[in-house]
Amino acid sequence: MNLNLLERTYDLSFELTEDHQMIRDSVRDFVERYVAPDVIERDGKKKFPFEIVKMLADQGLLGICHQEKYGGAGFDTISFCLAIEEIARWDASLALTVASHTSLGTGHIALAGSLEQKMKYMPDLTSGKKLAAWCLTEPGSGSDASGLKTTAVKDGENWILNGTKTFITQGSVGHIYVVLAKTDPTLDTKGISAFIVERDWDGVNPGTPMHKLGMNTSDTAEVVFENVKVPNGNLLGEPGYGFIDTMKVLDGGRIGIGALSVGIARGALEESMKYAKERKQFGKPIGDFQAIEHKMVNMAVEIDAARLLVYRAAWLKDQEKPYTKEASMAKLFASEAAERATLDAVQIHGGYGYTKEYHVERFLRDMKLMTIGEGTSEIQRLILSREIKKDLGYYS
Amino acid sequence: MKFYVCIKQVPDVNAPLHIKDGELIQDADRNILNAYDASAIEAALVLREKHGGEIEVVLIGTDKAKETIRKALAMGADSGIFIQADTDVQFDSFSYAKILSTFFADKEYNFILCGKQSQDTDAGLTGSMLAGLLDLPYVTNAVGLEMTGNSLIVKRQGDAGQELIELPSPGLVTCSNDMNDPRIPNLKGIMQSKRKPVETIPVNDLPTDSTAIKTKILGYEVKPAREAGKKFDGEPDEIARQVARLLDEAENVV
Repeated sequence: MNLNLLERTYDLSFELTEDHQMIRDSVRDFVERYVAPDVIERDGKKKFPFEIVKMLADQGLLGICHQEKYGGAGFDTISFCLAIEEIARWDASLALTVASHTSLGTGHIALAGSLEQKMKYMPDLTSGKKLAAWCLTEPGSGSDASGLKTTAVKDGENWILNGTKTFITQGSVGHIYVVLAKTDPTLDTKGISAFIVERDWDGVNPGTPMHKLGMNTSDTAEVVFENVKVPNGNLLGEPGYGFIDTMKVLDGGRIGIGALSVGIARGALEESMKYAKERKQFGKPIGDFQAIEHKMVNMAVEIDAARLLVYRAAWLKDQEKPYTKEASMAKLFASEAAERATLDAVQIHGGYGYTKEYHVERFLRDMKLMTIGEGTSEIQRLILSREIKKDLGYYS
Repeated sequence: MKFYVCIKQVPDVNAPLHIKDGELIQDADRNILNAYDASAIEAALVLREKHGGEIEVVLIGTDKAKETIRKALAMGADSGIFIQADTDVQFDSFSYAKILSTFFADKEYNFILCGKQSQDTDAGLTGSMLAGLLDLPYVTNAVGLEMTGNSLIVKRQGDAGQELIELPSPGLVTCSNDMNDPRIPNLKGIMQSKRKPVETIPVNDLPTDSTAIKTKILGYEVKPAREAGKKFDGEPDEIARQVARLLDEAENVV
């Protein structure tokens, strides 16, 4: 008898808990009943779906992984991933709304906010009464986020905020903006701080929604801050720690983009399987041809691999262990797997896949944000190169 | 008001399943709350929202089926009774009714709600048999419930139309899935369901006659595919003649 076997502990588990299964099933039921039926029409109209977002909020999906004392549902990051995947399976735009609201805007307040700030802002955000928008990117600073030009200058009890932010998710429909600004121009990243800004304050000018390739019903807009008076109490986190916190928020955001990518890729596979069974050519369903079978097998393998990477990153976050590398790996692989899957899904659908009669062309357009948002694939490789060099002793 | 809702776990008929050697094989192994029972829970929740009261769900099943109690609690039921059965015993409608009647014998309640049938067998017998065993007045195939005083006004779908029937407390109702659109548990409900009480009673603790099982499923068969219909070509009057001739020649038609 191998004694090692007897002593083996079974900490590593690939099974979802009962909580996780219930969350997955209830979100799936909800999405199939209320989200999936009109998704093609909504995509065509390109309007923010206030009604469905309100219904998602009533289901508790806008505060899924925030603490119950702040109005959240109190579940873990894996639960968050399950929910995002289920929504993204049918409606990636909606999943993006939920993910960005939850993990970026609200996530930054949950991470760095004082007790007072959390009590003041989070209940409205976790219940979806208000939507959060996280304002980092500027026209001149994207991947190099530290190069931001927005400034906040101390003026007695207030900070005076000036600058332009762009590509802001919930930029035109949001109520609570978390804004990154330079508070000490003499310092580099350590001169950046974060602020909580309310939409109806003087000088806050949300722009009109941008026209995009995909993610049509997710709101993206420019937001201009013009001499906005921000009370001292709305400085979020320690002064000079805005960029450090931003990096942490982005790590969490990457898990969300990973889960979203898994959802899109799963949609691509499920729709392809359905079509391959219905579509007959040369006297048999095209799913019987090896050329189609192999494409779908590749999708299935990559979806599973991507999902496991996403779950690992989520698990590490829940264990409060470092997860920068793992989140970046999950985001990179899942988004590129979704890219391959959606391209193949359109190919499997042939001419029909190129039309708006089927879901896969939308999946392809929505997918493209996955390799760009929350750090492009190129930036993920930059981060990962540093991480693996560190791990493998390149720098020592 | 105290409501009991009898619920059952059934295979998800929308998930892939097939029949092999007379056995039902669930490829996806997905089990769900019987849809008719979900409507009964929803009806009880709506009555509780309007008139107050307490809802307890009762389920007979193996350990695997216990998760379905949690689903009911996540929808909003207050507590659950899990009547734990062995995996190798196959109950039929009468034995389910008999076990439940033993459980209910010393309980106080206003109404017992059941699904009108379960999606796995579609027998539709347990609710009526339970009412019979408990000597309760009952109404089947309910599509609407309203409370007046201590009675329920039950709208039931009859053969000729909808009937309104007053059912005094205590009584039993079997619910149609046409009655409502059962709510999907929200995340707070799922979180709270973990803290709600579920009492486990081994089925052998409920003294039930061992001869209660009256019927047995011998096996499952795939329903034969429908034969292709006959197509007629030609001018309308010629087609009509062809059809008339066919009907005339066919037995037991015209």
